[in-house]
Amino acid sequence: MSRTYDIPIVSRGRIMHPQGDDAVEFGGRAGARFRAPDPHKHIGDLVLGDPTRLRDLHEMPVREIIAFLAALGPKLALDRNPHMREAFDLAVEAGGLTPPVLRSVFDALPGLFDAAYLEALADRTVGIAHLNGWVPQGEGPMARFRVRAVGTRQLHITAGNVPVVAALTVIRSALTKSDCLIKLPSNDPLTANAIARTMIDLDPNHPLTRHLAVAYWKGGDEMMEQAICRTTRIDKITAWGGMSSVRHIQKFLSPGIDQIALNPKLSMSMIGREALEDAPAMKAAAAGIAVAAGRMNQTACVNTRVVYVESETDDASIDKVIALGKEIHAAFQALPEGISTPAPRPNRDLEAELQALDLEEELYWVKGDTIRGGVIVSRYSERVDFHADLNNRVVNLVPMPDLSKALRWCDDSTQTVGIYPERLREEYRDALALAGVQHIIALQPSAATASDDGTEFPGMPHDGIEPMRRMVRWVIDEAPEEIAVSLAAE
Amino acid sequence: MSINTAKTVTLPADDPGSWPYHSIDDLLAISRHDYEHAQLEAMRFRFARLKTGVEALSRLVDRQGVEDFDSFEAALPLFFDHRVYKSYPLALIETRDFAKLTAWLNRLTTHDLLRIDLTGLRTLDDWLDRLDENGMLIGHSTGTTGKLSMLPRSRTEWPHWEATYNEAMRATTGVDPKTDFVPTFYPGYRGGHHMLAKMLELFNIPAAGGPEHWHTLYQTNVSSDLMSLAGRLQSVEDKSELIEMGLDPALLEAREAMIEQGRRREADMEAWFNKLIEEFRGKRVKLGGSFGDLVRVAQMGNAKGVKPGFAPGSFIMTGGGLKGVKDGPDDWETYVKEFFGIDTVGIVYSMSEIMGAAPRCSHGFYHMPPHTVLILLDPDAKPLPREGVQTGRCAVFDLMAETYWGGFISGDRITIHWDEDCGCGWKGPRIGGEVTRFAEMEGGDDKITCAGSQAAYNEFMNYVMQV
Repeated sequence: MSRTYDIPIVSRGRIMHPQGDDAVEFGGRAGARFRAPDPHKHIGDLVLGDPTRLRDLHEMPVREIIAFLAALGPKLALDRNPHMREAFDLAVEAGGLTPPVLRSVFDALPGLFDAAYLEALADRTVGIAHLNGWVPQGEGPMARFRVRAVGTRQLHITAGNVPVVAALTVIRSALTKSDCLIKLPSNDPLTANAIARTMIDLDPNHPLTRHLAVAYWKGGDEMMEQAICRTTRIDKITAWGGMSSVRHIQKFLSPGIDQIALNPKLSMSMIGREALEDAPAMKAAAAGIAVAAGRMNQTACVNTRVVYVESETDDASIDKVIALGKEIHAAFQALPEGISTPAPRPNRDLEAELQALDLEEELYWVKGDTIRGGVIVSRYSERVDFHADLNNRVVNLVPMPDLSKALRWCDDSTQTVGIYPERLREEYRDALALAGVQHIIALQPSAATASDDGTEFPGMPHDGIEPMRRMVRWVIDEAPEEIAVSLAAE
Repeated sequence: MSINTAKTVTLPADDPGSWPYHSIDDLLAISRHDYEHAQLEAMRFRFARLKTGVEALSRLVDRQGVEDFDSFEAALPLFFDHRVYKSYPLALIETRDFAKLTAWLNRLTTHDLLRIDLTGLRTLDDWLDRLDENGMLIGHSTGTTGKLSMLPRSRTEWPHWEATYNEAMRATTGVDPKTDFVPTFYPGYRGGHHMLAKMLELFNIPAAGGPEHWHTLYQTNVSSDLMSLAGRLQSVEDKSELIEMGLDPALLEAREAMIEQGRRREADMEAWFNKLIEEFRGKRVKLGGSFGDLVRVAQMGNAKGVKPGFAPGSFIMTGGGLKGVKDGPDDWETYVKEFFGIDTVGIVYSMSEIMGAAPRCSHGFYHMPPHTVLILLDPDAKPLPREGVQTGRCAVFDLMAETYWGGFISGDRITIHWDEDCGCGWKGPRIGGEVTRFAEMEGGDDKITCAGSQAAYNEFMNYVMQV
């Protein structure tokens, strides 16, 4: 049923296909096979040993970089781009997301390359002036202190659960005028590849094309990572997701290599007692939860898995939480297919968990399954112990007589907290932030269009940090006092 | 119905509790084809008696709409997933809500646990002691999250359990633990409610000839409280939170002490073993411990030129993997035998959830006697053919369970040889090769997603698991 996909190395404007001796096979998701050139033979193609070779990008105005990216965006449209089509087909085969959801995710990719958006992104993060030249930091004599944001050599260990990661990586490294090496994930080895190949189609000699390399090697391949992660070859490592990939790479961190860790995250929601008081409020909260949990079929870090509901734990109170649970289950079924669909196949482990809890009716109420989505209501103020594995649109509602106690379960791995109603925002915003939470959103059906990490507004922080500001090197050019005076006089 | 064999072994379907009292040699002399029907009828017999008495099973019957079955496959929807034994909220232990915990456990057994007086209980160990004082024999295993699975075994099952286990030990070592008492060394705790610790205590003390002949590295029992709360204690850095949870701050100190003890364990084990090696020179002994422990002691002993000299007839009873052993010998068994000067190494295969145990035969396979029904499942939870060599998830039905439901689907992946052609002469399905937990096979691949939690590395459990 599954075919073998070729994953070429795309490096600095050249495409290297696996062939003859220079080919290794590896297994991907759901039985698909991949064939790639032997990465060990191509280390020289992947890294930029001499950082001064970044001069071409360094001297290119941000406006020209944006122009290239803006031209690239429309060419990534699924219907016109065979490389992207192949990435899409493979993603469908891998089965993490269903075709309608994938379709909307892929359809959103070209929009990320919108010129106005990119300009705002560059300016609101690093600052276009700082990317283009040396910016005086003060007035008069203080103008002798000048700062420039300088591009770096970056390794990106990307996550593959959504293709947007590949696009975002290309954009961020381009806007920071950096040399970009992408290590492909086995669960999406083709999207970054497709973007790089489309860049070659557009202009194989463009400095952005010449500063992008994309390859697959097995995460934890010590020989590879040792050869690449050297201060002479890499300045910054961005590690997305995957605790084991982050751990592997940390072994090679040494002073001089900066790690930008976008660790694995989980998200949750908090619902006030108002949602249990009348039917319209309950429906609104349920619709919000359905979107927060169901979007991208609950495969991403932004998805709600546990919902803390302000409620006592007596039977009458729990009945109301169960009523909310029924509304959420119904709301899952009503989600538009571009946002969320029934799962293509059951999740056997989670199914077994649901069935085990279903036998304990005095402790849990369970509805649904891992195809259409499900709800577990704890009759006790505790989340289920497999909360991190909640998937396929299954949420756990936990009654909390004192909602503030839910903070006990928040830490730096808690990315997004959805809240309903807005009263909770004022009440908990600061406590959540101090506990480690990185993004607080309103639970509402319209949030269906919101992106993962607040990128709908350009340049928002990501997982509590500002990655683009960390991707550049901030360099001071400090002139002597008298020259500063004469400069100021000009 | 029942079957009769040439050796006049009778396996009556309406009295499966009588099966383990036959000699294991007789049980393993019967072809499975001659008793599988009796096994099925015995499962139906148990089901008829438990389906109304075990509340969780009643619920499952309602959910699945299965009122009876006429094949192993048809019975599978009624098997408990292994998660059923740990479906209580951890908060019940954190808050020591023993009434609710008892109510949870009560749904898994025909015994009326609600009549048990729970006054004065302060710890999980207290609660387990109290249950045992009232006729239960609860053993727990360890969950990956530190959450314990509780097996609702009781004194009703004890005679069957004792009979089957002692026979398995005799079969694999050639020494009858009921008549031939041998001083025993074990590099761990004296006992406790952890299933392995409990079994060691229950079976080894009589087999050693009394508690004074049961020589353990530690003189205490393993603490169920520390095991169950390990995950929580790991994250509690601030003692005020402990007090807020209502936990005794002494627990945190006990945990520290245990971690410290774990760090010293290898040196302590070496010193302890060496002392026993001298003390018991020329005497007949039984050595326990994991493969890993025995290999480490042998490696350290060889490095220092230690030469044990136990009397003939000494033997080793072991199990478990080589986890944590660096540069372990490929043929660990020969290595250990040569160091200790002992020829007999006995091993049985079992799981916390079942009483049955499969002794290792002279050809290195583990033969399961008829009182434990084995079914292998494919990834879609469908039974694999009962022929040839098959590998899959192991489902079992423990016919000796009288007061709780014996059907259960494990997390173990095993290989079974169904053709009864083992060179050792024993019959019955035999288990060979490596046993792996499904949970261990997951992860470690190269799929990266942004969703996940920081897997809390739990140093503590690593030490505790060296029971």
